[in-house]
Amino acid sequence: MATDLSISELSKDLRDAIEKLDVAGDIETVGIVTRVGDGVAWVHGLRSAGYSEVLLIEGANGETVEAFALNLNEDEIGAVLLGSDESVHAGAKVTLKGTILDVPVGPELLGRVVDPLGNPLDGGPAIKTTQRGLIEREAVGVIGRKHVHEPMMTGIMSIDAMFPIGRGQRELIIGDRQTGKTAIAIDTMINQGRQKTGVVNVYVAIGQKLSKIARLVERLKEEGVMEQTIIVATGPSDPASLLYLAPYSATAMGEYFRDNAQHALIIYDDLTKHAVAYRQMSLLLRRPPGREAFPGDVFYLHSRLLERSAKLTDELGAGSLTALPIIETQAGDISAYVPTNVISITDGQIFLETDLFNQGIRPAISAGLSVSRVGGDAQTKSVKSVGSHLKLGLSQYRELASFAQFGSDLDEATKSQIEKGQRLTELLKQHQYQPASIWEQVASIYAVSEGAFDAVPVSKIKDAQFALLTRLWTDHKKDMQELTKGNEKISSDSKYAKLILDAAKSVAKGLEE
Amino acid sequence: MAKLSRRKIADVWAGEIAAGRDITHQVAAYLVDERRTGEADLIVRDTEVALARRGILVADITSASQLTSETRHALEKFLSTNMDAEQVAYREHTDPHVIGGVRIEAAGTQLDATLRTRLNQLKASKI
Repeated sequence: MATDLSISELSKDLRDAIEKLDVAGDIETVGIVTRVGDGVAWVHGLRSAGYSEVLLIEGANGETVEAFALNLNEDEIGAVLLGSDESVHAGAKVTLKGTILDVPVGPELLGRVVDPLGNPLDGGPAIKTTQRGLIEREAVGVIGRKHVHEPMMTGIMSIDAMFPIGRGQRELIIGDRQTGKTAIAIDTMINQGRQKTGVVNVYVAIGQKLSKIARLVERLKEEGVMEQTIIVATGPSDPASLLYLAPYSATAMGEYFRDNAQHALIIYDDLTKHAVAYRQMSLLLRRPPGREAFPGDVFYLHSRLLERSAKLTDELGAGSLTALPIIETQAGDISAYVPTNVISITDGQIFLETDLFNQGIRPAISAGLSVSRVGGDAQTKSVKSVGSHLKLGLSQYRELASFAQFGSDLDEATKSQIEKGQRLTELLKQHQYQPASIWEQVASIYAVSEGAFDAVPVSKIKDAQFALLTRLWTDHKKDMQELTKGNEKISSDSKYAKLILDAAKSVAKGLEE
Repeated sequence: MAKLSRRKIADVWAGEIAAGRDITHQVAAYLVDERRTGEADLIVRDTEVALARRGILVADITSASQLTSETRHALEKFLSTNMDAEQVAYREHTDPHVIGGVRIEAAGTQLDATLRTRLNQLKASKI
């Protein structure tokens, strides 16, 4: 208790503490700040500083402001401040910390909201991890990688059936504002909790509104997924340096799980804002601007980030890090600089269209412009067997539907194709926060594509689907649990096909026109 | 003509000083002519670094009170052995704010053993 302490003890404690401190017994290299402003400090001296090395700048009131070196010129260093530039003034002393940027990594971060330096933002206790991970780290080499072959189920039927994502894949989610890009990412995170896949979610909010992040955290808590999620958050008022670091530090956190034989999913929301933050930093560092005023290395900015997502070989523990980067386009222009870059880096893209969104087709996934380049091998057998013709059918339907608008007489084959397309489109509509499990996806798609719901009006397809799923779960729970494993191929002679079609036909009878 | 870097100017100047020639006036004239007088302090710092590489150390020593001749001698010895200097020149400064101890700044390096820094570190470590 404070009252029990004598003055002499206080003095002894202070002396002991001073003795224990590792004080300036070493000769250290020092530089001085020559200019500072807009979050960038120019430093004279420190010739031994390395790229991305942390600098400690003496603040006005004795405190220390951290920065990291990004421009190493002959006469000076351009460093980006990690805190406010208010207390940094010209003439301030700068020393080297002796490390490059790193963040705490490990399971202790699960369930937490942190900033890009690993400091808690959720008001919880300090995060004490046993390990730290480098923010900038080289990606795994060729020998350490294995082909993508395990499914990363999103729970969104149109994605899992048409553009399957595998563990270790990088699949871009691209679209205009307000087209449901984040919703897809959130549903995928929720699905990992619902299906108990054990996949760890890492969500990186880059310059997102803090209210939006707060809502997301609440939702994830409600869904019970927060315990397997790490949120790395930066708001619009944070310095550009933190926005720039956010995806790299989150990747370091995800890599911990990948390297420890676990599976992780990382969502970068969004890389457009990341590129803009990097553009701001680059322009302030006087780097020459290129196309759209982005610096010349904006491709490398994202390629080195996304290359760190990988599926590892069995020798390295067979862990994986799957990336879902998000890119926002302007008026559907996917040929702008950053979208084309990220499209070429990733293993496919899910393109969301404003028109489809406004027509009520949600998720508004464009069947024609979306693609998954490596996910085919990762798709579960059962979903693959029912969804193989889905993409072609839907693309043809959308083309035919645009002709049918002219009202000309159509032949029977075309009419039936259009009707099936309408039913499939209706079926693939899915509410947010309602990811579907494998058996639900298989049963729904199989019933519609085999024509079991042909007599059901399009507006009642969702009712029919609900009734079918309820009936199957009530009457054949064990079979459906077996089907969820996804190993069974669904063909006309399989027992599941019979179960689904019988149930679908009897459900359809009650809903016919 | 491309702008000469500070490092190159400093290197030439230090080379001349080491050879016993004084070109301070020429350097000053060059800086005025090139309108780079604002960089004078930085060039001096760079020149001190370049001189240190040639075995000539220019140090700034700050202490709370005047140094005794014994301390001076000890500091000179310390600098010549630890910084590989054949020749040591130093400027003494007295600053009561450092409270106690000594701070040596030389050729882009620093040895801060002042009580003020120790107390600041103590404050930062939140004991």
